[in-house]
Amino acid sequence: MANPLKQISPTFDALNRHLKVLPATGGASEELVRPDQEEIDDALINRSINRVTEFAESPTPNIDRIYRSTPPLFRAENHLFRFFIDGSFRTYFLGTGVEVGRSFPIMLAQIGAAVIHRNDHGALSVIHNERQLLLLLPGQGNGVSDTVWHQLERIERPGYFRIVNYELPDPLSEDKKDARDKAGGKVRAEMHELEAKLINRTDGQRDKDKWLILDGATKFDRFIQAPYLIGVAKAFSKQPEFRFGGIKDKRDVTSILAGLPHYHRTVAFSAYDGRVAFWYVRLREQRQVDYPLMGVVKVELPTPDKKPVDAELLDLISRALVAERSVCPYGLDKRWHCCIYPIHMAEQVIKNSFFSNEVIMGAIKWQQSQGGFHE
Amino acid sequence: MNEGEYFIGKTSATDRSSNTSDKFSFWLGDGVIVNPFDIVEVDQIGRDGKSKTYGLVTILEHWTDSPNHLANYISSNFGELTEIPNTPRQGTTVAHANVLSNTADIYMPVPSEKLVRFATPEGIHEALGIKDMAEKERIPAGLIKMSNGNACVVYLDRRYLLGPVSAHLNITGISGLATKTSYAMFLIQALLQKATDEERKKIAVILLNVKHGNLMQIDQEPDVQPDAKQMELWEALGLQPGKFDNVHYFVPRGPDGQANCYIEPNTPTVYAYDFRSTADKLDLLFADVPDTYSTIESIISEIREGVLTNEREFQDVSSWTNLLDGPPINDPNRRGDWRNIKSTSLGVFRRHMRRMVKTRQSGIFVESLSRGEKPLGETLAKTLEGGNVYVVDIAKLYDHEQMLVFGDLLRTVYRLKSEDLPERRGKPVPDKIIIFVDELNKYAPSGHQVSPLTQNVIDIAERGRSLGVVLISCQQFMSQAHERVTGNCATKVIGRSAAAELQEKAYNFLDKELKFNIGRLVSGELIISHPVYRQPVKIIFPKPTYRVKEF
Repeated sequence: MANPLKQISPTFDALNRHLKVLPATGGASEELVRPDQEEIDDALINRSINRVTEFAESPTPNIDRIYRSTPPLFRAENHLFRFFIDGSFRTYFLGTGVEVGRSFPIMLAQIGAAVIHRNDHGALSVIHNERQLLLLLPGQGNGVSDTVWHQLERIERPGYFRIVNYELPDPLSEDKKDARDKAGGKVRAEMHELEAKLINRTDGQRDKDKWLILDGATKFDRFIQAPYLIGVAKAFSKQPEFRFGGIKDKRDVTSILAGLPHYHRTVAFSAYDGRVAFWYVRLREQRQVDYPLMGVVKVELPTPDKKPVDAELLDLISRALVAERSVCPYGLDKRWHCCIYPIHMAEQVIKNSFFSNEVIMGAIKWQQSQGGFHE
Repeated sequence: MNEGEYFIGKTSATDRSSNTSDKFSFWLGDGVIVNPFDIVEVDQIGRDGKSKTYGLVTILEHWTDSPNHLANYISSNFGELTEIPNTPRQGTTVAHANVLSNTADIYMPVPSEKLVRFATPEGIHEALGIKDMAEKERIPAGLIKMSNGNACVVYLDRRYLLGPVSAHLNITGISGLATKTSYAMFLIQALLQKATDEERKKIAVILLNVKHGNLMQIDQEPDVQPDAKQMELWEALGLQPGKFDNVHYFVPRGPDGQANCYIEPNTPTVYAYDFRSTADKLDLLFADVPDTYSTIESIISEIREGVLTNEREFQDVSSWTNLLDGPPINDPNRRGDWRNIKSTSLGVFRRHMRRMVKTRQSGIFVESLSRGEKPLGETLAKTLEGGNVYVVDIAKLYDHEQMLVFGDLLRTVYRLKSEDLPERRGKPVPDKIIIFVDELNKYAPSGHQVSPLTQNVIDIAERGRSLGVVLISCQQFMSQAHERVTGNCATKVIGRSAAAELQEKAYNFLDKELKFNIGRLVSGELIISHPVYRQPVKIIFPKPTYRVKEF
């Protein structure tokens, strides 16, 4: 079988010609993702909402009654969620580039996003699936020189292959000190961009009866403002404080969620100056899981008009979401207790479309003796 | 036909389940129905363009992404039986197939992601090797019915059934459901119908009727004519439903001299055994009697030689009574041994003989034959003629009598084909003599002890091919029949059988997956393993169209 990554070789040839490369031991090596990465990302993206003081639903809830019953509303009764989108990535450390006394990590990443459609019978189909290969280099200051960068840019390459400057700021990488962490944050940022792009492709197909679920937050570098869409986060920041009234009324996420009964939601809270409504839904009984915060998802609904959301719509969304508890990827995903199965399937679609680690590691090998690489 | 209907799935090789030269797997499209024994085809590379690889589906499995059953329990909201999943769990059915053949003799593993479709009838013939079978050698053996509704006639190669390449056919399966006798009769009928007139005149068929009157009316029209579905089946096979012609019945003599059978056919020949015509077959009676030191065998040999060479001592022994009660076997004046055989051994022999021909006999043994009673072997040796069917009824006989009759038949046929042509026989010996017998395990049981009768059956199985003697045999359990007999049957037919039986060594030629399916066969469905086919196939066949009385 021919090398499927042959088309990207000229770029690596050029990199090898212009830089001295200290290869990663054993060739390319995959960077493993931290288990709580999603929660860290949520904290980074939503760092500005450390204090929640406003409700985002109508009629305005009473602070003493913040839980509402949301028994499951199954597909047979109301098939609300039709589209599901997820993104995934794999990052590889290729080696360290050295140019005129400056050294920096050279990273490669596969990112992908997929939109799954569910028909009235519950059958799933992939309607959008896109994969990109990113070569991550630092492009400013202590990174690759302008000359080399331009030479790399000029080389013909396939559409799925891009060179990304991981020094450019974004919410997930700008605070990172370590260059490899920074590159990792950049990869996740690029993946979210790809998700946003695929969401736009479902415009016109979504309506009040056909919603889309996005895996994670709806606000990234910019707001995703598409209508009929919610973001569902399986892991979320525990930092926000909820203050409605005097200083003594302060409550944190844990205390709110510990009292959240199963098949209930919290009232919706306002964030980003009213542009996002978010609330929490308990999908599973506490006795079914190991820890009170398990089985709870955070739901975000873009509200670009900054108006409070009708409580009945929030109930409808939450009830339909509770019904998504079946089936679950128990045994396949540690976050099974709050996983939406079609989202899990979207993730599988993406991962199965990635080049295997063997292909990546086999295709990009540095020649240690020459300080370069070969296929 | 659109593509979605035409293709049924795609081949699949994974890091844990590879496709090989012998096997491949494919997942099925939604709504596609495939069953074990369906034959499928996949495009494969060729030396000059494409080739096709054919596969026989052996087993189907349904896979989901659930890692274990507990995950499914939890997925149903922790065991909530009424839970209806919003999204059904992702799963697919995977079919596993054994490679039958490749049109360009390329046995490279089938690659992954290749489209799979049902084989066409022409494709099935190509897959099984029937395409290369000469038209005149084809004997319809049944109909393959595929899950997509396609049907295809499968043929046995005459050269592998009647010789000279190989011969014999064995049918096994549990009683009642395996339709063993019906299939044997269907096949004989197909064979006779497909033979030319000239060939038919050279084929004689001997059928042993072992159960009730099953085969005692094969020359009679059935009480109920075959229905439209059956007629379609006959027509598809290119055969005419009908009774057998030129049938001769041999029935055993009963206690009072009458025919001893469940159903008395028209103009039967009654056969019986007097001492003189049985003297050279006494060993057949003792097939079931333990004879560790060969003492009884010695006595039988002495008697046979004495009678055949007309020794003085045996000149007065002309009946069973003479043998048992008079000299030389029972001589009150003799002191000491007889021909080095102790008198106690002679006593044992007499006790067994008395039991078999006097006290526990059905009437078949007579002191002397009447005009209407014929010695079976001699009569057949003189009259056996091609183009005829001979039914020998042994249904009402005791076991030792059945063994005598069957052994007598085998020896007669063997002698006819190999050496002794009776002088008065004025007609040619048939080129092919087909013998059909049920309950083979009775006459040739498995084990190391080989009785004279078993040896006769083995001789036919091993040398009949070159002589033109063909054994079509049945039994419930192949493991209980002698392996040198079943092993020499080039064609094996298997009906429904118990799982425990299928684990026996005799069934090693079947894949484990195929064995599972044999337990599910219904009446009228059989698995055929034939030397020409690369894999066993499942067939159906029409019901008999001669008269069969239900008991």
